[in-house]
Amino acid sequence: MSKQKTLRLSQVGLRGVVGGGLTATHVLDFASAFGTLVEPGRPVIIGRDPRASGRMVREGVLAGLLACGHNILDLGIVSTPVIQHAIRRRDAAGGVSIGASHNAAEWNALKFFGPRGTYLSTAEAGELLDIYHLKKFAFAGWQGMGKLELVDHAVDRYLDDLAAVYDFDSLRRFRVVVDCCNGTSSVILRRMNERFGFEFILINEHPEGVAFAHDPLITSRTIALQLAPLVKPLHAHAGFLFDVDSDRVGIATELGEPLSEEIMLPLLTDYLLPRGPGKLVITNLSSTALVDELAARHGGKVIRVPVGRQATIDALSGYRHDQIALAGEGTGAVMMPQFEFVYDGIASMLAVLSMMHQRNSTLSEILAGYPKYCILKGELPLTSARIPSLLTDLQKEYSDGRATTLDGLRVDWPQRWFHVRVSQTEPIVRVICEQRGHPPSVLFESLLEKVRSLP
Amino acid sequence: MPREHLLKIGVSGIRGVVGEFLTPALACSFGQAFGSYVGRGRVIVGRDTRATGQMLQHAVQCGLLAAGCDVIDVGILPTPTIQVYVGTTGARGGIAVTASHNPPEYNALKLFNAHGLFFNHYERTELIDLYHQSDFYQAENQEIRGIRCDYESPTLLHIERVMKHVDKGLIRGRQFRVALDGVNGAASVMTPRFLTETLGCRLDAISVDPTQPFPREAEPRPDTLGALAALVTAQGCEIGFAQDPDGDRLAVADETGKVLDNDDVLALAVDAALERLPGDVVVNLTTSSVIDDIAAAHGRKVYRTPVGEANVVEMMQAVNAVIGGEGSNGGIIFPSVHLCRDSFTGMAFLLERMAKTGLRVSQLAAGLPRYYRKLGKVAFEHGALGTLMQGLEDRFPDATADRSDGLKLQWPDRWVHVRASNTEPLLRLATEARNENAMEDLYESATVLLSAAQGPAQVE
Repeated sequence: MSKQKTLRLSQVGLRGVVGGGLTATHVLDFASAFGTLVEPGRPVIIGRDPRASGRMVREGVLAGLLACGHNILDLGIVSTPVIQHAIRRRDAAGGVSIGASHNAAEWNALKFFGPRGTYLSTAEAGELLDIYHLKKFAFAGWQGMGKLELVDHAVDRYLDDLAAVYDFDSLRRFRVVVDCCNGTSSVILRRMNERFGFEFILINEHPEGVAFAHDPLITSRTIALQLAPLVKPLHAHAGFLFDVDSDRVGIATELGEPLSEEIMLPLLTDYLLPRGPGKLVITNLSSTALVDELAARHGGKVIRVPVGRQATIDALSGYRHDQIALAGEGTGAVMMPQFEFVYDGIASMLAVLSMMHQRNSTLSEILAGYPKYCILKGELPLTSARIPSLLTDLQKEYSDGRATTLDGLRVDWPQRWFHVRVSQTEPIVRVICEQRGHPPSVLFESLLEKVRSLP
Repeated sequence: MPREHLLKIGVSGIRGVVGEFLTPALACSFGQAFGSYVGRGRVIVGRDTRATGQMLQHAVQCGLLAAGCDVIDVGILPTPTIQVYVGTTGARGGIAVTASHNPPEYNALKLFNAHGLFFNHYERTELIDLYHQSDFYQAENQEIRGIRCDYESPTLLHIERVMKHVDKGLIRGRQFRVALDGVNGAASVMTPRFLTETLGCRLDAISVDPTQPFPREAEPRPDTLGALAALVTAQGCEIGFAQDPDGDRLAVADETGKVLDNDDVLALAVDAALERLPGDVVVNLTTSSVIDDIAAAHGRKVYRTPVGEANVVEMMQAVNAVIGGEGSNGGIIFPSVHLCRDSFTGMAFLLERMAKTGLRVSQLAAGLPRYYRKLGKVAFEHGALGTLMQGLEDRFPDATADRSDGLKLQWPDRWVHVRASNTEPLLRLATEARNENAMEDLYESATVLLSAAQGPAQVE
C-alpha cells in the first residue's frame, strides 16, 4: 500500500501524516523558523500529546529551538491548554504544542503560541511561514545554545488557576464519567481526583501512542460509542468526551443521551451571558442558530465569522476583551475570557458542571428549556470546478432568505438556514442545514443533489 | 591560500562549525540516513561536552526516530566507551556527537557499525550516497519507537573490560599519586572514578567539570599541556595523564612534568601488550620505528598502513593484531578491550608497568630506543603534487620507497614520510632518525626540495 501523502503548512501551523507527508526535515525547519520568529531572552514552553510520533517530533523541536538559542521548558505529555497556561505563568516568549488534536493517530502537528499563550495572529503566522520558506534561520553561535529544563508541576499550577475560577467544593459532588480517548485529559482529571477529591470515572484513560480506542472526533456518534451507555448504569450526573489534546469536549446527559457537538457553545452562552448582558458571542457561520436564540434571551449579540480557528482569533483581536462573553465553534471547542481565550475542554466541562450546580438542575432539565434545533451535516468530494457558479445560482434561487457570502454561501430564514462551502483543509464540499423544530431534510437533500449533479 | 573548512560532508561523516554551517537540519538528515542504512533496531547515541552537543544530539535522535530506530541515549561519555557499548549490546550501530580534538566551535558525528567500529570505507560511501539521495526510511506513527536513557552501564562495561587485562591488585597496592587534565571533556567524570575507585590512585585533577568549556587547546600535545606539567611538579605526582574532549586520545607526562612523545607512549603500551599476549602489531606509516624495535624484541611483526584510525583498524582485523595505534596522535588500540583508540587502556597499561617494574615514567621512557623526530608542513599548488613526490623519490634513489600513502622513503636508520592532507592543500612531512644530525639533514633536504617552488616549510 502506498503511504498517505498528506502535509499541510498553513497559518494554523504544520500538520500531516507522519512518514507520508510530515517528515523530520519539516519539523526541524519549522521549529527553526519559530525559533527565529520568537523574541530571544525568555524561555519557550513545549509539550506533546501521547502519539508515538510525538517522540520524534519533540526531538526536532528541541533541536531547532536550542539551535536558535532559546531556553526550553518541556512539560512532557500535557494538554494544549496546559501549555498555553504555562506560557502565561512563566512569562514565556511563546510555546509549541506537538499533537494532532482530533485527527487520527497517524497524524501529527505543530501548533505555535505567542507570549501569554495566545494563538498567533494571521500576520505572525504568515511571517512564520515566510521564514520557513526562506530557510534563513537565526541560529545562535556555538556559545549561545539554549538549555533544556524538564518541568513536572505544570498540571498542578494549571489546576490552581481553575480552582480559583470554579468552586471546586461544590463541583466535586458530581459523579462524572469521562471518555479520555487515550489523550491528555486523563492526566489532569486523575490529578483532580487525587488532589481535590473529584469523582471522575475515566475510560480510555491510558495515554496511547498508536491506537486510540475510537476516532478522537467529538460527535454524537463517538459519544454514543462507549461513553453514553455508561452514564446511567453508573448513576453519573453527566458524561464528557475529550479529544486527544483536550481542547474540545462533548457531552452525554445523565440519561445517557449523546448530545451533538454543537451543544457546548449554546450551553455556555446561556451560562455566561447573563453575567454580562449586551456582550458578544463570536462563532463561525456553520454553528447552530440555537446560539443566536439563547444569546437574544440574555440580550447578547452573535458575531459570525468564516469557518476556521484563525478567523475566530482574528475577530477576537478586533474587540476589547471585556466586550466578549465567549467564542467558539460547533466542534465542541469553546474559549472563555477567564482563561485568556484559550480553547479549553476541561474549563468548558467545569463551566457546564457549575451551571448544573448553580441552577440546581440536571443536564436534561437545562436542555428541556431550549428549543429543538435539528442540524444536518453532509460532505461531498470536491470534483467540480463549478462551485462558485452553483453558489451564485443558489443565492438567486433562495433570494427570499438573507444571504451571507463571507465564506461560501449561507442563507438565513427566520427558522432555518443553510451553509454551503468548500473546506479549507480537505478537498470536500460541506453542506449544513438547520431548522428549528424538525429536520430540514428536503432542503438538505436538494442541496446535496445540486452539488452532486455538478458537471 | 589555505581555505577555511566550515562544513565538511564526506566519507569521514559530517563535521563543521555549528550554527550557520552545521545546522540541526543537516544533523537530523544525517541521523535519518544513518538509521535508514543500519535498519530499524537499537542505535546508541552519546556525545562529548561541547556546548552544541545537546542540540545536535536531539537533532540526530529526531532523524533516527523518524527512520524507525530505537534510540538508547547514553549521554556524555568518552567515544571508546560508547564504542564498547555499541559492540557488546547487539545494537545496530551508534553515533557519537563529537569533534574529537577540533576547536570548540566545531562539532561532528562519528558513526559506528553494529560491532562498535568506525564505518569502513564501503559503509561510509553507501551512507553518503543515501544521504545525498535523501533516500530515507520514513517511519509511520505505529513504527516510531522511543528513547531510553542508559547513563551508567556503558562506563561499568568499559572499565570491566579494561580491568580484565591488568593486575588490579598490583596497581591498587601502589596507591600512585596521579595528575589528570580532563580538558572538561567527555571523560571528565569517568576518568577520575576510574583512577581512584578502580585503580586506587591518589588523584590531583584539573579540568574535570563537564559543564565548563575547554580550558586549553583540545588536542593533547606537549605545547598544550603546561597546566598538567605544572600540576605534576607542584603535587609531586608520579605520572600525569591528559585526554582529548572525547577521551580516545591520551598524552602522558613523566614525574618531572615532561610530556612524553606520543610515539613513546604507544611504544610502552605495545611492549606491555606483547608481553602479555601473542600476535602482531599494526601502526600507520608515520609512527616511529621504535615500534619495530619493540616488536622485534618480542619476535613479532609490524604492519604499516596509511594514516587514519579506520585504516589501522581494518588492518588489525585482517592480521588479527594484538595491539596497534597511531603514534603522533596519541591513539592506543587494544582489540582485547575494543578495536578503537582507548585512553583508559593506555592509562591502565602504564600504571601497571610502573607497578611491575618499580620504575619511574622517565626511566621507562629512557629504556626505549632513542629516535629523533620532526614534523612539518609545506603548502603546495594543486597539480604540483606528482612532480614534488617524484622529485623527492628521484633525489634519494638508495631508499626503499613506499607509495601506499603519499611517499615514505626508508633507510635502515632513518625515514621521511610526505603526504597530502585530506582537508587542506598542505603536504605533511615527518622525518625520523637514530641520529639527531642525520634527522636534521634529511628534514632539511626534503623541505628544501619540496619548497623550492613553494613557500618555506613550517615546523610543527
